[in-house]
Parts: sequence; C-alpha cells; structure tokens
Amino acid sequence: MSNLIEVSGLTKSFGDTVVLQGVDFTAESGTVTALLGPSGSGKTTILRSMNVLETPDAGLVRIGDASIDFATPPDRRAVKALRARSGMVFQSHHLFPHKTVLGNLIEGPVQVQGRPVDEATADARTLLEQVGLAGREDAYPAELSGGQQQRVGIARALALRPEVLLLDEPTSALDPELVGEVLAVIRDLAAENWTLVIVTHEVRFAQDVADQVLFLDGGVVAERGGAEVLTDPREERTRRFLARMLDER
Amino acid sequence: MPLPLPRLLALLVLACAVALGVPTAAHADEERVVKVGTEGVYPPFSYRDPDTNELTGFDIEVMKAIGEEAGWKVEFVEAPFDSLFPALDSKRIDVIANQVTINPERKARYLFSTPYTYSHGVIVTAKDTDDITSLDDLKGRTTAQTASSNWAQVAKDAGAKVQYVQDFGPGVQLVVQGRVDAIVNDNIAVLDYLATSGNDQVKIAGDAGDETLEQALAFRKSDPQLQQEADAAIKKLTDDGTLAKISDDYFGADVTVKGGSEDVDVQASDSRTTWEVVKDTAWPMFVGLVKGNIPLTIISFVIGLALAIAAALARLSSITVLDWIARAYISVIRGTPLLVQLFIVFFGLPAIGIDLDPYPAAILALSLNVGGYAAEVVRAAILSVPRGQYEAATVIGMDYGQSMRRIILPQAARIAVPPLGNTLLSLIKDTALASLVLVPELFREAQVTAAATTEYLPLYVMAALYFWVVCYLVSLAQGPLERRLSRYVA
Repeated sequence: MSNLIEVSGLTKSFGDTVVLQGVDFTAESGTVTALLGPSGSGKTTILRSMNVLETPDAGLVRIGDASIDFATPPDRRAVKALRARSGMVFQSHHLFPHKTVLGNLIEGPVQVQGRPVDEATADARTLLEQVGLAGREDAYPAELSGGQQQRVGIARALALRPEVLLLDEPTSALDPELVGEVLAVIRDLAAENWTLVIVTHEVRFAQDVADQVLFLDGGVVAERGGAEVLTDPREERTRRFLARMLDER
Repeated sequence: MPLPLPRLLALLVLACAVALGVPTAAHADEERVVKVGTEGVYPPFSYRDPDTNELTGFDIEVMKAIGEEAGWKVEFVEAPFDSLFPALDSKRIDVIANQVTINPERKARYLFSTPYTYSHGVIVTAKDTDDITSLDDLKGRTTAQTASSNWAQVAKDAGAKVQYVQDFGPGVQLVVQGRVDAIVNDNIAVLDYLATSGNDQVKIAGDAGDETLEQALAFRKSDPQLQQEADAAIKKLTDDGTLAKISDDYFGADVTVKGGSEDVDVQASDSRTTWEVVKDTAWPMFVGLVKGNIPLTIISFVIGLALAIAAALARLSSITVLDWIARAYISVIRGTPLLVQLFIVFFGLPAIGIDLDPYPAAILALSLNVGGYAAEVVRAAILSVPRGQYEAATVIGMDYGQSMRRIILPQAARIAVPPLGNTLLSLIKDTALASLVLVPELFREAQVTAAATTEYLPLYVMAALYFWVVCYLVSLAQGPLERRLSRYVA
C-alpha cells in the first residue's frame, strides 16, 4: 500500500448538473496535491467527497486503511472511520464562535476522541505555537483577524492528528494582506511532510509546494502532473486558465 | 441537516413522562374520605374567614356537621362555581356543598340530598334603577350571572341577556358600575352581601318569582350510598336542632325550613379598614405566589423548553412524519385557548382514564402550552446558526447529538433568549389560571378575600403588583444572561 490516498471513478450530480464525471487520483504519504481549476469545475466537491460532506453517486475513496465504495449507500461506521483519517480546513474557517481558541482546538480530541483534557490542551498549545498564535488561547474567534482565524482553523484540524489535511481554498476569503501568513503556515506543514490535499487559486503557491497538480475542468481531470503543469501546461484550457489567474494577481 | 431519530424520540418520551408525572388515585375505605367541592368566595355560605383565613360559612359548617354524623373524613376542595360540576363528574370531588339549587336539569344528572336551605330569588339593581321590580321587567335587559348557576337560567327564562361572571361579588361591581342592569340571586346571599359590604349603591329591587328554591348537596348518580348517608345525617341534625342552630348563627333565622329566609338578619362581620385587609392578605397571597405560581412557572418552563427543543428538531428533521407531528402539536397549542387546554387536561382526561392531580395537571397543560409557543422560537434560532457550523462539527467527528448539544444549541440559545424571555413572562402570568383547576395560587387568594370583604380594587391591584414585581425581577435577570451568552460576539 504505497499510496496513502486513493480516489477512483468519483461521480456526482446535483439534480441535473453533473459535477464530477469520473475522477481518479492517488497521493503518497507526505506529498502535497493541489487541485486547481475554474469555479464549478468540481474541485471542492472532490475534497468534500473525501470526508463525505457530500456523498458521491459512485466511486471509491480510500485514505489509509479506511475506504468506502459509494456504489452502495455507505453505513455510518464506515463514514465515521473515513472521516477520522482526515482534517478539514474550510474557506471561511467555521470556527466555533462560542468557544475560545483553546476550546476550538480541544473540542474534537476531548469530545470525540476521548483524550484527557490535559493532554489535549498541551497538544493544542504546541499547535498554536506552530501556527504562530501562542498566547491567544483564551481569545474568542471574533477577537482575531481573518488570517489568525484561518490559522486557528488549521490548528483545529491538526489537533485531531489526522493522516491527511484537506484544505478548501484556505485563503480565498481573506483580505490580500492576510493571505501570506496563512500560506506560510501551510508551507511549513508541507515542509514537515504532512500529506495535504489543497484546493486553491494561488498558482504561484501551488508551484512552490505541490508535488502533484490536478487541473480540473468540467468534472474531469483535464491535466495532471508535477508542478511543471503550472509553468508548462500541455492543454489549451489549462493554459487559458493559468493566464487568467496570473493576470489577476 | 442530519437526522435526529432515536435520540429525538427518547427526548420526546422523556419529556412526556416527566410532564405527565404519576397519576394518583387514592381511595381509602377505612374512614371514607369525602372530597367536598365549594367556592370559598360565596359568603356567608362558603368563604374564608378574613381574620383566620380558614374556610368557613354556613354550607361549610353544615357539611362538617353532616360529615361528622355520617362518619366521613371531609376534605374541602375550593374551586370556582363553574368548575364544581366538571370536578364532580371527573371524580375530583364527591359532593358539592355550595348552595346548589335543585332544578330539573340538574336532577336529571345528579343526586341531591334533602334540602338544607330554603330561599327565594331576588333581583338586585343599582340604587337609582326604578324600572325593574319583577322578573317581567328583565326582558331585554342585561344581568350578571355565574354561567352554571340556576340563576342564570332564571334570568334567561325571563328574557334577559346574561353576562357571565365568575362569582357573585364581581357581578355586583358590574351593577354598581352600570355595566349590567341587574343580578338575579338568592335572597340570603344578597342580604349577607349588603350587610357585609355596607354597599349602599345597590338594592333589592324585587322578588325573582314567588317560588321557593331548595338548596341541597349534589352527588354523582353513581354514588347513591353517599346521598343516603347524607340524608340520614341531615334528618338527625334537623331533629336535634343542630342545623337550626348553625343557621341561627349565620342568619339570625332558620333557613333550613321553608319560609325561614324571610327573617334573615345578618350583621356586618368585618370591620377592618381597607388598609388592614390589604395588609392581612399580603402574606397569604405571597404564600400562594411561592407555593403556587413560582414552582408552576419554573417546572413548566423547564419541561416546556425540552418539549420546544424536541418539537423544533422534529420540525427540522428530514423524517416527514416527525415534522408532521410537530406541526400539528404547535398548531393545536397556538390555536386553542390555554384555559380550554387546562380544562381538557384536568376535567376532560379523567373520562379516558387519565386522572391527574391538580398540580401535575396544571404543569402538563402549562408545559404543553410553553412547548408549543417556544418551538418556533427555538426552530428559528437553530436555523440562524450557519450551515458551516454543522459541517465543522461533522468533520471533527461529532454525531448528531453531540453537534446539537455542544455546537448548535449553545449558539442558538443566544438568539432564542430574548423571545423566550417573553414566553417566560407570559407563563408567569398564565399561572393565575391554575386556580381554575384547583391549584391554590396568588390570585385565588386575592379573589377569596375580595369576596369576603368586597375590597376588589385594592386586592386586585395588589395581585397585579405581585405579578409585576416577579416579572420585573425576571426581566432584570435577562440582561446579564443575554450578555453572558453573547460574550463571544465581538
């Protein structure tokens, strides 16, 4: 089992709209997979299928030793097992506003994983230090800047000690001047050999950190390869997309 | 949103079980306990002694004497006149001792003892009304009567429009205020009222027919043994002069024989000033508040809130049948008067074997009411929590129950508190209705004393003040609670 992640034959429709029509990819442990593509291309749906926030119509998702074949409706335990393998960072963080930073970080470890509060708290402090927020344990999310909130969101996902971190456009909702601090944290994670799957519009960032790039268009993988896909695309539509994205910046 | 199911059902069942309490039915056979229904606000027959706050009156003393003679353990249950017959039907009481006049309709439904009072009807009008002297003059006029009393029928038969009042005293107030033209009532009660109140704004304007009316104890048809025992006792008490003596104490005449009521001569019994009455009643009213209204409010609110959350989650559930049940519940509760709900629970349910004591019955009805009203508040509050919060809870591995309890409901609480505060204030005030299902509470105490002393305005204002103070304190507590729940909002 050399690949940590395996996704194959993923299809999904919302009503009459076909969002994914047969997506396959694998990723090795410790690698960064970047999903790029125009909006509506299905990249976020892939990510949300990997922790069953969306239930695909068909296809297989495996992370580590947990896998679900969506040919039949998945049972609750299988979903729980698959979800436990990954952590998720949302575009607009979705921190729990009624809990402090520390409360957000230990909620999953204590309530779901049943770890002792002391241990979870110690872990949380280490993670906060790692994302540059040591000392903000007792702040409420509303008291933080957007960049800080997103860094807490990353720390909350890591607190569950997942095998894979899924990041859904982690910087898209941020003011431009706050993007850098969040990307820096993700860069560190990549350097520490975390396995990341990231949906992003940050082309240059993807060039820097991605081991594998998937360019999505119309619910299929239009082009895939190493980071060179972003500098030297073979497909015309990839070229057009990249030109547009780079122009905007 | 994910599905609730077993958890939700369990919650519903739990809430219902708590709300229902344990039905109780105690019938001791050694010395038979006989529950006697009486108004407690109908002097001089059934009222609280203003000095001692003890239940007393002609009917009460007669009943005690009968009970002693018959070997019963007599327990009095006070309730508004209109609640007495439903209470008899539903076996909450075994006999009514409250100057119940025998008439054909009642005779068809109930058993009556030998009469222990003979009286006749009189018409009461304002002092300066001079065009009403007989029943014929009532045609087209308005009278104030208790709904289920015999006098209401007499007035209607005479062609009068009837305005319903809860007991005699408020009816007199309506006459004084010119809101109704007259009252038809028993001559003894009227004479006593005039003497006690010193009210010179009303007068006896004439007789309501020339028929002698007989007042007796009323029993269920299914209970002839009680009636027979009562008759035996009444015969004995008549023969040994006990009844005549009781009557003489109250009326200076023997109203237990025909024609006796013509000689009634009642003396003013209460000479306290308004201020003294208010002062003396303040404590019993406070006790009613602390033992009645406040516990009713707290218990009903807690259960009602649980019901509201269950109903809100059912409304939001993807299971159609749960949604449908919750919609029906909310619609029925919001579409029917609380008073009717109370009566159905207390007087209606015994017919299908659900026999609740006054307290559990009041709590059940009030809880169901709160649940129905608060359900939509809770639902809206839950809907106001962004969808991303469910997703965030889901991806950290929480199940439905955990994400509700730890993530969604705490955030919904912030939104729900201000409108739930309104629900709570309404509930506090609604507990005043509990006296109608025989729960002693604050306003009941005010009514009782007002009936005996005719100090309506000061006593009712004091009752209002008590309610207002409690509501004010509750609304004071709401501010800090809202701030606490909102402390995380920048």
